Amino acid sequence: MPAVIVALAIVFGSINPNFWSVTNLANVSRQISILALLSLGQTFAILSGGIDLSVGSLLALVSVVCAQVMKEFGLVEGIVAGVAAGGLAGLVNGLIVARARVPAFIATLGMLVAARGAALTLSGGLPIAGLPREFLVLGAGYIGPFPIPSVVAVVAFVFAHLILSRTRFGRYMYAMGSNEEAAVLSGINVAKYKMLVYVASGLFAGVAGVILTARVISGQPTLGEVQELYSIAAVVIGGGRISGGVGGIGTTLMGVLVLGILGNGLNLVQVSSYIQNIVIGAIIVGAVYVDLARERRRR
Amino acid sequence: MQLRMQYRTLVVIAAVAILGCGRGTKPANEAAGASASAAAPTQAVTEYARPAKPSKQYRIGISIPHLANPHYVGQAYGYIDEAQQLGAQVTLLEAGGYEHLDKQISQVEDLIASKVDAIILAAISGPGTVAIVEQAAAAGIPVINVNVMTDSDKVVTRIRSDDDVIGRMQADFMGERLKNGGNVVMLRGAPGTSWAEIRGNAFRQRLKDKYSSVNVLGEQYSQSTPVDGLRLMEDFLQTYPQISGVYNGADSTAVGAAQAVKSAGKAGAIVMTATDFQIDTEKFIREGVITASVLQQPVTMGRWGVRAAIEYLQKKPVPAVMFTGLMTATKDNLDTLDLTTVRAPAGWTPPVR
Repeated sequence: MPAVIVALAIVFGSINPNFWSVTNLANVSRQISILALLSLGQTFAILSGGIDLSVGSLLALVSVVCAQVMKEFGLVEGIVAGVAAGGLAGLVNGLIVARARVPAFIATLGMLVAARGAALTLSGGLPIAGLPREFLVLGAGYIGPFPIPSVVAVVAFVFAHLILSRTRFGRYMYAMGSNEEAAVLSGINVAKYKMLVYVASGLFAGVAGVILTARVISGQPTLGEVQELYSIAAVVIGGGRISGGVGGIGTTLMGVLVLGILGNGLNLVQVSSYIQNIVIGAIIVGAVYVDLARERRRR
Repeated sequence: MQLRMQYRTLVVIAAVAILGCGRGTKPANEAAGASASAAAPTQAVTEYARPAKPSKQYRIGISIPHLANPHYVGQAYGYIDEAQQLGAQVTLLEAGGYEHLDKQISQVEDLIASKVDAIILAAISGPGTVAIVEQAAAAGIPVINVNVMTDSDKVVTRIRSDDDVIGRMQADFMGERLKNGGNVVMLRGAPGTSWAEIRGNAFRQRLKDKYSSVNVLGEQYSQSTPVDGLRLMEDFLQTYPQISGVYNGADSTAVGAAQAVKSAGKAGAIVMTATDFQIDTEKFIREGVITASVLQQPVTMGRWGVRAAIEYLQKKPVPAVMFTGLMTATKDNLDTLDLTTVRAPAGWTPPVR
């Protein structure tokens, strides 16, 4: 997969040299930061044997909550409320999955629809404008040469990687995803850790939603359409197994990079956006096929 | 088994994707528009001739909300044809619908990165595109707003219909037809766009000022697609059997709404006004389902956008606000309208990037 990424970059760069420009690299990293954050939560969900279909709609809900609270109470309050809204929705997902034992697919599908509805209800369907200008920094600002959204995404990646590789929670996610029954029998409090998974996913969506809100300096109830599907795609393209137990932050990073570079590169080399969708669709299926084929050969 | 499970999962995911497309609507009480504020012209230019062909080949990037509405196909034709006349190279990007603000922003970022000479933007959201317009301005790339405005004073010029007049014309038409009183519902169009706000507000205001016997029962925002118009109108007809008039901020919702009115057996009994003139709108006017439509000139909008970009790049003065013209179509004048500024030629398809 890293080879594919390098190849893509070389091809795009040779057709349009602007691909390698600093502005554009900053663009790519900024554009993929939202997907990257969502994909981290998705990685947790899928790795532990579940799925989180609600992350796209959560972007909208978070955006509306963040903007409304920010207008009413202030910058920091808005940011905190946005992230908290994501976490809270994640907690609801977690309770329904872990306690009520509704399959994750159904529970988060419900949240996908309900969160969008909540965002539209709270905002009356209209964008919420008039946020403080300083908020823009979070979406468009830089730390040194690095766009702030990208920096946030990188920090989140490191953080998520540490959780997966260094904590009990991380190990249990693999255990639950590989064989839930065995996990239960070996004394893991599956319900508790499952709940944590969805809370984490909600929090990642919360951070992503706040950054996206800053990028558009307004609360937008229509943000995030089909982003949940791209986050799933990012997880599986890199090599994460859709049924859980296999994958990690590294493979998800690969998936995010492939999708991000493809999207930006195809725009830069002026491939029609209709054809782009066909290419991306083919790559999602192709990547998983290659992965499975390799696994079969190994056996 | 493993593989089959995954396959099934993917199929269900696809189903979810389709489900997820169900669009929300809004309650009737919030008419206050956030995005209309930036577009309050004082002196607007209403004629804008083609400049001489420049010696340099300029590269112009264009981002529009979508091409699912023939209005934007007409506009796309205006851009492409005018660019050909003026020797400019055009990259036309469409975001796939008014719900994809993040995609439009990414597309404009990519245009900035590929260092186009100018950007023409039909904004998906007035407030939502402020940051990206300022980013372009900071990179020294002029941004021209066409059709749908950004809430920023950093744009070089604003080219649009006088949306205020579009709302008023529909109100006048409605008011005259419903002289003895009536009950109207409004399909406003895409939330957060300058056109939906200005037109809808002007319609309401005009009714209030001049035709106080006509009530507005309710209003809904939606994406401008026939599916949304059909769904909303069906629900309106259930909620308010007494409806005698329907306002449409865009004709794509009008086409759906007209189907609902027709199926309910109320064609002709309900006064329907619309904006724009796609083929189905024309058909419904001919059938007497849609009573009248206010025609914008999207082809002209596109042409003026390219002209303004080139004049600005050549350091010539560009007016701050320009209004393209309007016409009214009714059953009586259908065959006499000059549509060259309204529609792309039959069979023309836009070269989307």
